Amino acid sequence: MINEILNSVISEIERRILPEGGLENHKGGGYRPDATAWAVIAFKTWRKDTKIIQQLQARLASEQLDDGRVCLLPKHPDAFWPTSLAILAWHGSAGHINSQYRAVNFLLNTSGRHFERKPDSPFGHDPSIKGWPWIENTHSWVEPTALTLIALRTVGYEKHPRAIEAINMLLDRQLHRGGWNYGNTKVFGHELNSMPAPTGVALQALAGLVHREKIEKSLLYLKTAVKKLYTPFSLGWSLLGLSAWNERPSNSQALVLSCLERQKRYGPYPTSLLSLLILASICENGLLNQDVLVKSET
Amino acid sequence: MKCKMTKAENMRSMDNLKKSGMSRRGFLISTLVGAVGGLLGVSLLKYKNQMRSEVFIAGIANYTDDIASVILSGMKELGISPAEIKGKRVLLKPNIVEVIKGASHINTHPLVIRGAIEAFLELGASKVIVGEGQGHVRDSYYVLEESGLADVLYEDRIPYIDLNNDSLFTLPNNGRFSRLNELSFPQTLRKVDLIVSMAKMKTHHWAGVTLSMKNMFGVMPGIVYGWPKNVLHYAGIERSILDINATIKPHLAIVDGIIGMEGDGPIMGTPCHAGVLVMGRNLPAVDATSARIMGVDPHKIAYLKAASNRLGPISERYIAQRGELINKVRKNFELREDIPAQRGLRLA
Repeated sequence: MINEILNSVISEIERRILPEGGLENHKGGGYRPDATAWAVIAFKTWRKDTKIIQQLQARLASEQLDDGRVCLLPKHPDAFWPTSLAILAWHGSAGHINSQYRAVNFLLNTSGRHFERKPDSPFGHDPSIKGWPWIENTHSWVEPTALTLIALRTVGYEKHPRAIEAINMLLDRQLHRGGWNYGNTKVFGHELNSMPAPTGVALQALAGLVHREKIEKSLLYLKTAVKKLYTPFSLGWSLLGLSAWNERPSNSQALVLSCLERQKRYGPYPTSLLSLLILASICENGLLNQDVLVKSET
Repeated sequence: MKCKMTKAENMRSMDNLKKSGMSRRGFLISTLVGAVGGLLGVSLLKYKNQMRSEVFIAGIANYTDDIASVILSGMKELGISPAEIKGKRVLLKPNIVEVIKGASHINTHPLVIRGAIEAFLELGASKVIVGEGQGHVRDSYYVLEESGLADVLYEDRIPYIDLNNDSLFTLPNNGRFSRLNELSFPQTLRKVDLIVSMAKMKTHHWAGVTLSMKNMFGVMPGIVYGWPKNVLHYAGIERSILDINATIKPHLAIVDGIIGMEGDGPIMGTPCHAGVLVMGRNLPAVDATSARIMGVDPHKIAYLKAASNRLGPISERYIAQRGELINKVRKNFELREDIPAQRGLRLA
C-alpha cells in the first residue's frame, strides 16, 4: 500500500513539470530550482525514468551562473542557497560532472559574513566559525551549512577544511539542552528553543562524522519530538536525521502516510515537501546511505 | 501599574481557543456566500499621512470575549464604512513567530485573527486570507498547527499563504531609509486590496518594541531575505521597518495586546496581560499609542521617531484617541536594562 501511495505522489510531482522544463513548487508559482532539485533526488531514489531526470538536471544546469552558483531567481543572484541542492541533484550524472564541480568550487570559495565575537556580545555562538548563509553577504546559519556539508560529502569532500569547519560550526550552534534551531543558541542570556527540522538536517549532515556523544542530547530531543510531528518539513527531516543515526522510528511509514493524508486539511503540499516525504519514507538509513547519493571518488 | 501574569493564566487563555470555536463556521460560510469580485490593486483605504490620525483602544479582558464585535465597533469609530470594505480582498498579516505549547504571549492570538476575519466578512469583504512569513521557523504548517491558528482557519475555510515561499514582485524602495534600492514582496500582496497588520504587543530586544510596523517584516520572503531575514538585519532592522512600510503602505493595524510580552521579546519574554486591542489606519499612530500603553515613550523608539516625519504622527497631539484612555489601560511592560534597545525607553 505504501508503494502505491508513494507512486501516486511521484506521479503528482511529475504532473508539475513545466513545459519549458523544471518544476514549480506550488501551482502557478513558476520555475523553482530548489523544487526541481528535490524532485530529481526523489525521482532518482524512486528509480524514475532517467529521461525525465536528465531533463530536469539539464534545466538546473541551464540556470547555473558562470561562477558556479545556482540561484533562486535570475533577479536574485545573491539567493544562492539552491546550489547545494543542485549538487545533490546532479550527483552521479556523467553529463553534469562539470556543473557539479563548478557548484562545489563556488561553495568552497564562499562563506558569507563572519567576525570575531566581542566580549559584550549578546550572542551565544561563535560568529567567527565559517559555514554558509542563505543569502550572499549575510551570516552563516544551520540549514544552509548542513545542506552544503551533505553536498560536499556526496562528492567526497568531507575532509576538506571547509567541511571540517562546517562540522565545528554546527556543533557550536547546537543548543546546550539538545537540538538545533535556525542558528542562534543564546541571545541576552536566554537559550533559544530547539526546532525539529533544523535538528533533523544537522543530524543528517553530521552522521558518521562526529562521535555520538556529541549529539546524544539532540537525538533524544528529536526522538521525543518526532512522535508528535505531522507536518511535512519537520517530519521529513526528523526521519532522515534519526535514520542516519540508526534511530529511525518503527512507525516511520505510518507517520509519512498520515502526513500525506493531511493535505486534505492544508491543500496540496509544495513539490519540495512531497519530495522530502518520499525520501524520508524510502531512505531507511538516511539520505547519504542509499546508493543514489553514495559518496563518489575524489 | 506593573504587568504580571502567571503561567497558568497564560495557559488558560490558549485553552479558551478550543472552547470558543465551531459555532463560528456557519456565520463565516453564510457571509462568504455571494461575496465576489474586488479590484486588483485598488484600495479605498488609501494611506494618508494625516495630520490627526485616529486610533481606537478597546479594553478586552479575555480572548473568549466577542472580539469580532469589538473590531466592528473599532472600525466604526475609525470611520471605516461597509462601503470601503464591500467586495474587497483582505490580507490579514498576523505575527506568528515561534511556538511554545500553551503560550499565548508570543503570537497574535488565533481568536483575534478569527475576530478580524468575521468582522471583515460582516462588512462585505469578498475574500479574507491570512499570510505570514516567519523569520525563524521554515515549517509554516508546523507553526500554524502548534499556534492553534490551523484549527481556526480550517474551520472557517480561510486560505493561508506562506509568504516566505510565494512568487515575487519587486518595487523600488519608496522609503530609502536603508541602502536597499528595491524590495521584493510576495505576489499575494498584489492580489489583495487591503493589507491589515495584526501585530502582537511585545517588547523587542533589537527594536525596543514590536508592533504593527515591525510586524510587516514578516511579509518579506525568506527565499530571498533568508531565515532569519538577515539581509534586512544587515540593511538595518529599523531602517528596513521604515522601508517596508513606506513601500507597501498597509491599510490598517490591529494590535493584540490582550496578552502581550514583556522583557526579552519577541520570543523569550514573559506574558503581560494588558487587556487591550489597539486599531487604526495609520501604523505609526497605532504603534505610538500601543507603546504608550506599554509605558514606552514612542519618541525613544528610533523607527517610530523616524516614521513621525514621513509616515504618520506619533505625538499625542496629532493622534485622536477613541475608546479607552491610555492612562486608564496603561501597563508598564518590563524593560530590561541589560538589553541596550530597551534601556531608557520608559515613558515619564
